[in-house]
Amino acid sequence: MNELSVQFEGVSKRYPHFSLENVHLELPAGSIMGFIGANGAGKSTTIRILMGLVHQDEGSVRVLGRSMPDEQAAAKIDIGFVSEDMRLYGPATLAWHMNFMRPIYPRWDQAYAEELARRFDLKLQQKIKGLSHGQRVKAAMLLALARRPRLLVLDEPTTGLDPVARMEVLGELMTVLADEDRTILFSSHNTLDVEQISDRITFIDRGRIIDSDDKEVFLDRWRRLRLVLPPDGTVPRLPGVVEVGGSGRLPVLTTNRFEPAMVSACNDLGATVQAVDTMTLEEIFVANVHCRRERLTA
Amino acid sequence: MNYSMVKSLILKDWYFHRTGILLSLAGGAVSLAVVAFGGKPGFTIGLILLVTIMIMIGAMTVMGNTLGERENQTLAFSMSLPISYLEYTTSKIVGNLLIFVPFWLVIVAGCLGLIVAAPEIHGLFAFTVIMAVEILVSTCLMIAVALVTESKGWTISAMVTGNLALNVVGYLVAHIPGIAKGMWGTAIQWSPAASISLATEFALIALLLGGTFFIQSRKRDFI
Repeated sequence: MNELSVQFEGVSKRYPHFSLENVHLELPAGSIMGFIGANGAGKSTTIRILMGLVHQDEGSVRVLGRSMPDEQAAAKIDIGFVSEDMRLYGPATLAWHMNFMRPIYPRWDQAYAEELARRFDLKLQQKIKGLSHGQRVKAAMLLALARRPRLLVLDEPTTGLDPVARMEVLGELMTVLADEDRTILFSSHNTLDVEQISDRITFIDRGRIIDSDDKEVFLDRWRRLRLVLPPDGTVPRLPGVVEVGGSGRLPVLTTNRFEPAMVSACNDLGATVQAVDTMTLEEIFVANVHCRRERLTA
Repeated sequence: MNYSMVKSLILKDWYFHRTGILLSLAGGAVSLAVVAFGGKPGFTIGLILLVTIMIMIGAMTVMGNTLGERENQTLAFSMSLPISYLEYTTSKIVGNLLIFVPFWLVIVAGCLGLIVAAPEIHGLFAFTVIMAVEILVSTCLMIAVALVTESKGWTISAMVTGNLALNVVGYLVAHIPGIAKGMWGTAIQWSPAASISLATEFALIALLLGGTFFIQSRKRDFI
């Protein structure tokens, strides 16, 4: 688990109307990272740099021990890549795609490819242009998985899928996770999908990584404290408070450094803790983004 | 350079354009027949058809093969394969030329064969060779512009420029004294002026393709 599959150090990329700034990102081998950001936050740019499709202006990128973009051809032998805006060749069948890719990838697993086709209910002789969006995503996923990649990079793969197709794709990913050597980077703006499969989470907003940690750490350290203040009481100063909501004597504090001792600390300061609410990943993401944006505008 | 990967991509492009290639070959054969057996009007009509088909197959492969990848959003898939962008560029240039050149060679050989078989038009031999290579220059211009700009608009502009250049070059070559002198004669003549014209065209092809590799190797964003 100590070996890094992906390592970004001080990576920047500037466009006229968007810039990715000073990105540091580490993805240990065998881990599954959920890469969460709003539309236009920089997820796809980061992933394109990772794949060598876009060259960074500054910083270094290493993927599976290879320097990107210089060694992209060698690195991509071990990478399975599926992105929302990626299409397979429309006039060809899925069987043609499988035959096309088999000699390219040394670890191509034909039996697994055929098994996935059955599980995804895909017809090998059907042309890609005749498939629905969900079927096309599943076909792309099949081609990415059957090459038995060491690193699976999925850029918003579930966007636009109906609930059944989404569950099938996520279910297959869950199965893949059983292989401990497999590393996955899964980008999405859908936190529910990410929460299901990831063990690490990274948030990105407006071209900057704003937080990155183990999923459980996120879920443990973020809490909402619902307080009742005494008349003329003030909101207690607690560590890691990123947002103060509620009103008057009933403030709601959002903290990213929750510890059980905070409850007694509040009581000592004269405030009664009415409830300590856990937060979903989506709530954590939104609070995180708001907090950072407010800090920037302050 | 990963040659086996480049080969796979070229074969893939051949596979997707097989119908167009076969139809163009059939069209070329019909045009040659019209030139050979259509009498005087057939000769003119057949030649126009041949030139049109050659331009068409060049444009069709460039549009479908190069610009189509971006338009159909298959570029991300192609670039997710274990290749570098230079290998991708190589596969596109060689692939486009391998689709166009065999067809072009067959048609040019057919045209030259017809000229050789008809002594009264032997004088057109040098002019025909130079104009045939000019069509190859136009196609290389289209390939270069399509790869570098990745824009349909610019590629169509290159196609129009190539076609206009064909007329201009035709007019100029027909007025080069060393070529014009024996053009309507009954003997095959190859003058130094014809050699210089041909060398200029091949130099232009080398410049276009070399320039494309140079620009592509300096590109930083591919998708």
